[in-house]
Amino acid sequence: MSDPVRAIGSSPPRLEAGDKAIGRAQYVDDIQRPGMLYAALLTSPHAHARILGYRLDAARAIAGVKAIVTGADLSGSRSGGIIKDESMVARGKVRYVGEIVAAVAASDPQTASRAATAIELDYEPLDAVLTIDEALAPGAPVLHEESASYVKAIQGGGHGNVVFETTVAEGDVERAFAQCDVIVENTWQTQAQHNAYLEPGGCVADVDASGRITLYASCQSVHHVQQRVAEELGEPMARIRAIAMRVGGGFGGKHASNIHSIAAWLARAARRPVKLVLSRMQDFEIQRSRHPARIWMKTGARRDGMILARDVRITLDGGAYADESPPVLAFALLMSRGPYRIANVRARGQAVYTNKLRAGSFRGFGNPQASFAGESQIDELASRLGINPVELRLANAMRPNDTAFGGQPVASCVLRECIARVRDAQREAPPLAPRNGRRRGVGFAVMSHISGLMGTAATVQLRTDGSIALSTGCVDIGQGSDTAMVQICADALSVPIERVSYAPQDSDASPYNWKTAGSRSTYMTGRAVAVASLEMRDRMLAHAADMMECAVVDLELRPGGVVGLKGVPKTVGFREIAMRSLFHSGGPIVVTHGFVFDGTGFDPKRASIHQLAFANLGVYTFGAQCVEVDVDEGTGQVEVRRAWCAHDVGRAINPVSCEGQIQGGFVQGMGYALVEAMKWNAEGWLITATLADYKVPGVLDCPPEIHPIILEDPDPTHPVGAKGIGEPSLVGAAPAIANAICNATGARLRTLPMTPERVLNAMDSRS
Amino acid sequence: MSQAKRRSVLTVNGEQHHVLAPAAATLLDVLRTGLGLTGSKCGCNHGVCGACTVLLDGKLARSCLTLAADVGERRVTTIEGIAGDLDFSAVQRALVESGAIQCGFCTPGFVITLTELFARDPHPGRETIRAALSGNLCRCSGYVKIVEAAEHLAGGVR
Amino acid sequence: MDYLAPATLDDAYRALEAEDARCLAGGQSLVAMMNLGLVSPARLVSLRRIEALRGIDLQPDGSLRIGAMTTHAEVAALTVSAAGPALLAQTARVVAYPAVRAWGTIGGSVAHADPAADYPVALVAADALIEVSSASGTRRIAARDFFRGLFETALEKAEIVTAVLVPPGAQGAGAAYEKLSPVAGDFAIASVAAIAGRTARLGVGGYATTPIRLEGIGVSDDALLEAGRALAASSEPSDDHRASAAYRRRVLPELIRRAVRTALIGARA
Ligand SMILES: Cc1cc2nc3c(=O)[nH]c(=O)nc-3n(C[C@H](O)[C@H](O)[C@H](O)COP(=O)(O)OP(=O)(O)OC[C@H]3O[C@@H](n4cnc5c(N)ncnc54)[C@H](O)[C@@H]3O)c2cc1C
Ligand code: FES
Ligand code: FES
Repeated sequence: MSDPVRAIGSSPPRLEAGDKAIGRAQYVDDIQRPGMLYAALLTSPHAHARILGYRLDAARAIAGVKAIVTGADLSGSRSGGIIKDESMVARGKVRYVGEIVAAVAASDPQTASRAATAIELDYEPLDAVLTIDEALAPGAPVLHEESASYVKAIQGGGHGNVVFETTVAEGDVERAFAQCDVIVENTWQTQAQHNAYLEPGGCVADVDASGRITLYASCQSVHHVQQRVAEELGEPMARIRAIAMRVGGGFGGKHASNIHSIAAWLARAARRPVKLVLSRMQDFEIQRSRHPARIWMKTGARRDGMILARDVRITLDGGAYADESPPVLAFALLMSRGPYRIANVRARGQAVYTNKLRAGSFRGFGNPQASFAGESQIDELASRLGINPVELRLANAMRPNDTAFGGQPVASCVLRECIARVRDAQREAPPLAPRNGRRRGVGFAVMSHISGLMGTAATVQLRTDGSIALSTGCVDIGQGSDTAMVQICADALSVPIERVSYAPQDSDASPYNWKTAGSRSTYMTGRAVAVASLEMRDRMLAHAADMMECAVVDLELRPGGVVGLKGVPKTVGFREIAMRSLFHSGGPIVVTHGFVFDGTGFDPKRASIHQLAFANLGVYTFGAQCVEVDVDEGTGQVEVRRAWCAHDVGRAINPVSCEGQIQGGFVQGMGYALVEAMKWNAEGWLITATLADYKVPGVLDCPPEIHPIILEDPDPTHPVGAKGIGEPSLVGAAPAIANAICNATGARLRTLPMTPERVLNAMDSRS
Repeated sequence: MSQAKRRSVLTVNGEQHHVLAPAAATLLDVLRTGLGLTGSKCGCNHGVCGACTVLLDGKLARSCLTLAADVGERRVTTIEGIAGDLDFSAVQRALVESGAIQCGFCTPGFVITLTELFARDPHPGRETIRAALSGNLCRCSGYVKIVEAAEHLAGGVR
Repeated sequence: MDYLAPATLDDAYRALEAEDARCLAGGQSLVAMMNLGLVSPARLVSLRRIEALRGIDLQPDGSLRIGAMTTHAEVAALTVSAAGPALLAQTARVVAYPAVRAWGTIGGSVAHADPAADYPVALVAADALIEVSSASGTRRIAARDFFRGLFETALEKAEIVTAVLVPPGAQGAGAAYEKLSPVAGDFAIASVAAIAGRTARLGVGGYATTPIRLEGIGVSDDALLEAGRALAASSEPSDDHRASAAYRRRVLPELIRRAVRTALIGARA
């Protein structure tokens, strides 16, 4: 039989790319509905204050105002993720400048914002804590006095301003350090980075005659949004429906947000559709950031380069609400060993509340912070040992069948290949001409990451014409999952991708999916799609066997939607099978496959782990990155000239999409490394709330050459071997650039972003 | 700001439209909410991101920084006017085929910007392309595939 | 708010008499501020239709008269050899991005007087004159006197910037504009405009609320670095989230050196 045209491994244009190219793709702000109201928000001017009262009369008196909500309207327990410490609008206290205190729905945006500003609150200002040190100081003002009463899915923390604390340890660190010939120890500091997706967050809430609410959201999971809104509104989930629109980027920042609940509340109260789309400034002020972190790390090795021990302390600045702080902290600790064979590791961490915007999930999820410290320290160690940093990495790199920190077995690992590939690619590239006044440096970093977590499902259904309806809860936030899912399904059934339709995500119809996060879509949902599709194939083969009066083993799928008898031209089409199932016997062929990540969890015998937010993570992926930088000796400006990024994706479903993820992730990591920083003034006001103040790299700030190198080491637990690539590409950029700056100038930077000023200062303090 | 509305006539994609909007309304606002041309996107509303880029008399313009009232007789071209209905220009096709489109929110702005570039210079080199695109932010792609799409269209790399 | 688009300067003067009336030029600063809620003028007087504000003409004295409504793109496209105008053209090329340059105007930039803007620095270095007019007549103000403070100029109520006059600069001198910004196309953290021949005349941005002018600076590296160090020590650079005062002081000597070195390459050519 001729090999069917494989969808997997080819790069058909994205299914929705055409609509996006001509401006027809529908994002939240593109929605218009008859009678639609517009929401406006009033936010806190105080970093920390008690709310004493509200005066709403002036706002209510404005013509066109249809609904107002404040914290006084809320009752019942608080909501949130792992620690339920939030509410959609502030209640009792405000804990950061920009926290939403009231929302208004009115007939037009101008009236809504006029009404919002007409709302008056009486506050009793309280002392605020804006940094980790202030939060942990003895006698510091406490953000959540009532923490003990919060519903919590995990324990750990809860005293003072500590959100959560935990430790992961393996081996005997103290004893191992005593055997080390070289020990390096230092502290790193990282900043708040904003997702800065190009589409600010937003949603439209509509309500029907029965009072049931439908939300159209820019989000990363309809199921998550549905759950959170139901919780906030005190409605059963059956009365909340969430539908995903095209999403203009998410990167972790667009899972459940208070604005979804607020729009739903206002729609319910006003009995009209309500649009709530954030301005860029509001998005900066009220969504979420990457955790600022302080990382102390100590690593020791024998003279021959064998790394024996690492000790780590990570403190995360979580902002005013817990959000994803516990899992981000836990993941940062788990990643802090790096993808190395280090037998003795201890990682201790705390996440603390401060009076600033909540920090939450953001591409990398704690790994960028941990890897910035870890991969910088590997270079420092190499230099102390007098060993080439690439060689040191190769010597200590994890190999197949090693275990990850925490004891999880790692069957496949191509880290050493990744390292060798970027090293060779950089060596073989024609050298760039040196430039006057600039110093050239080369830097490396390696990383591991996971792909997995939680539950997901996929449904496939055979239509009367033999085409396939595929449905999952996986929201495409730009990474290309719609197309990848269809490719996986089409391949399993040997049909062209045009024969598979993909349903938009709708909590009424889509099978459950946790969320688009954790580099999990292709691995988790893709796996569900593959298994469901293969099961559908088996059901069809059983029908075909009946129809052709033969055994299933004698049948095969042939390209284009037909089942054939092996070695004979005789076939039946999917259409006939569908007809038979629908009108004759068996019933509609609908297959759903759902599962929860089922990999081996942590090993309690190996590692002592206190209070992790998850039992197991996912399959491991590995990568290595290499950059060349020019450092301007006069101004300290750093220019990344070229980059090579080798990543194991298990199996590239859509190689062009993988490359796009690698290049885009690298640039976001480069922004993190060099320019991006949210800054607050002494009163807790965010002073970088526009794109004029919060800078993200433009094309002229980016290297024209970012070479993706895709390695395919199929994962045995996935029917087609795929793993995720969404996050790892960001992780290596900062340490690789730091190492390159050091290689160029001898200056070691341990604070992000590595601004020209910090570069010059580090050059000044070279010993 | 409650504001008296002003009447003006806009020529958008070759068609005349009578619009009634506050004098402070931006062209972006009027295109999106007044005329239902939602292809131009609002990524910042303060001139930095480029998602709202349109052509005014063939020249690039931030529609968020252009008052609708001040457009006057200048002809407006939006993403919807780049090719016929459900048709693709060469620029659009190149972006689609090069995998240069991820979340797509920036894409209309890039299409407009590249359209203007290719109208001036059918064979731009890499540095010309990069300079032309310098006012459009993309948070997803790292720009590499966008530049490659343009290079491809320019006929030959480098 | 109301909006008027007069066709003549006289009509514009009259329209500007109203309470809280403002000119609208390219809108590239003004509309951004309106959208951010930083200003809400009662009246906008668009200068778009006024022919008298357009055009670039060589004056009998060799200086270039650039109409206020000339866009950054038009200035950037000038091919001129005289140092003064060449400096302006170079400067215009590094203002913002193509779409902003296509509509932003030199008159708007000058009237706006953003302390981080580029033109003011170049105009001070070029010893340019700002021509401003109102119903009561026309005045020409030296650029160094025109900029008074943060977003503050010598413009009086109902006065319009009508043109900028840029003298050619000394015979054989070269020009360069050196700009330091966090990302490409962004406003400057610090910038130096130089016109250099046997000595250099400089405009320096980022070290006070208005551009600083230095004159008669020796063009050896040592002299330039020394001038930079002296200015760094005596000035009060901005200290903000984009860069600290210490950093601005630190890089100034090198920026000056680079600006003049580049200018001198142009001078020889
Ligand atoms: C994203 C972005 C980046 C930018 N980057 C830079 C940069 O790097 N460097 C830089 O220098 N600039 C930068 N700018 C500003 C840009 O150069 C503006 O074009 C310029 O500052 C204002 O010119 P305008 O014609 O748009 O004026 P407008 O915005 O229309 O007006 C600005 C002010 O000047 C007044 N005004 C305008 N014209 C006159 C006149 N003829 N007489 C009297 N008053 C007048 C207006 O009333 C208003 O108060 C940037 C702008 C944006 C949006
Ligand atoms: S929306 Fe106009 S530039 Fe961002
Ligand atoms: S594709 Fe998402 S911003 Fe460009």
